Amino acid sequence: MASVSEMYDVGWEEMRDKLRKWREDTCRNSEQIVDVGEELISEHASKLGDDIWIIYEQVMIAALDCSRDDLALTCLQELRKQFPDSHRVKRLTGMRLEALERYDEANKHYDAILQDDPTNTAARKRKISILKAQGKSTEAIRELNEYLEQFVGDQEAWHELSELYINEHDYGKAAFCLEELMMTNPHNHLYCEQYAEVKYTQGGLENLELSRKYFAQALRLNNRNMRALFGLYMSASHIAASPKVSAKVKKDNIKYAAWAATQINRAYKVSHKEILIRFDVRAHSFTTFSFLLVSVFP
Amino acid sequence: MGEVELSCRAYVKMYLHACLFPRCSINGLLLSSSSAGGAVCVTDCVPLLHSHLPLAPITQLALTQVDVWCSQTQQRIVGYYQANACISDSSPTPCALKVADKIAEQFDNAVLLMLDGSKMSPDYRVPPIVMYERKDSRWILKDKHMIMLRQWEETRSIAGQMLESGDHALLVDFDSHLDDITKDWTNQKLNTKIAELASPANGNI
Repeated sequence: MASVSEMYDVGWEEMRDKLRKWREDTCRNSEQIVDVGEELISEHASKLGDDIWIIYEQVMIAALDCSRDDLALTCLQELRKQFPDSHRVKRLTGMRLEALERYDEANKHYDAILQDDPTNTAARKRKISILKAQGKSTEAIRELNEYLEQFVGDQEAWHELSELYINEHDYGKAAFCLEELMMTNPHNHLYCEQYAEVKYTQGGLENLELSRKYFAQALRLNNRNMRALFGLYMSASHIAASPKVSAKVKKDNIKYAAWAATQINRAYKVSHKEILIRFDVRAHSFTTFSFLLVSVFP
Repeated sequence: MGEVELSCRAYVKMYLHACLFPRCSINGLLLSSSSAGGAVCVTDCVPLLHSHLPLAPITQLALTQVDVWCSQTQQRIVGYYQANACISDSSPTPCALKVADKIAEQFDNAVLLMLDGSKMSPDYRVPPIVMYERKDSRWILKDKHMIMLRQWEETRSIAGQMLESGDHALLVDFDSHLDDITKDWTNQKLNTKIAELASPANGNI
């Protein structure tokens, strides 16, 4: 089988730089990392200097992700030799045990790290990941909440918690986590859009209006977010169709929905795709919205 | 309840969908181009999501769009499939039951299909699927003998082949379509590839 350098006509420096970029962007393209990293390590180790240690770590984790225990063990052994007492390497040992589903042994390693250093966040997060892998969502949620009381600025943890709550259908608490994230990341359109989706799912007029506002906010931050555009259309349509709203609110929401529909139409036209639903909106026509709402899933 | 037949195209696309997102829960819709009555023939599937399955807006949107496409192409939605991220548990989640209920409102013999991740290793011999049918407002396990996969060995081999050659990267689900609307969630290209591999000219039948 052709090597990576042959297939893509790259030298070892380019391969090393690619690995660095993937590290910086925290990509989880494990298959690619294994392909590039394995070749780099086996053929060019001597040229990498001190970079080799972080590359061993990166490749080891990717190898675990691809069930390449052989490669993971090789990397781990090199790291153990070089850094015999390191907590960071101990965590990697734990991760390998996790991959082999030897969770009790993995937990022992993490507990040992925490006894030595109770502020070690990596070990705490691994313990929570084990609970998640074992399907123990309630415990994972409890532990993650405790973690966040101490480490309240950990964005990754807040997002993980919101995902756990969504899977448990606890939308109120998921919304709370996303509110934290929106406060600290006001320019992130994805958090706005996810918050809007949670509000929409919760249902009820008040939540629908909130969802419409946050879909709109997401669009302000990124006008190419198609989920936000569709979300705006759907939430505005639902509000307009509700018997509980005033005539003014109805009129405003028809306007918002009509605007969204036009943008959707335009986006599909520009991409040369045939629009599957004719968003043929006339300013005063109400039946178009009804058609969409009265589809299979009201 | 009656027989359910699963076509090669439907199975292969479900399988590739699960393989494309091995760390996520995924779901999709099962379609039929056959007329109502008699056995339910699942002839195609549309992969939907690989994130936030329980959230409503994108699911509703996808269901609407697929519904419209079906009415234009003489197909109907006859079922729902899901594969859980956590492979140790292949039982239907509350959101799977909810969507399947909705489908059952429109189609009596609706099918709920769960992919069993623990049976998807390279050397598996049995179809890694568990099927449920609706009886007295509950979803119960379907009798295995009422589930047919014609030419299972060939289907299995096609699925394996396409995974080996990296064809699963060509699969587009509704989530991916929303990230880039030039991508085709009806997966015509993949359908063509599957048909080529399944054709008698290959000497497979």
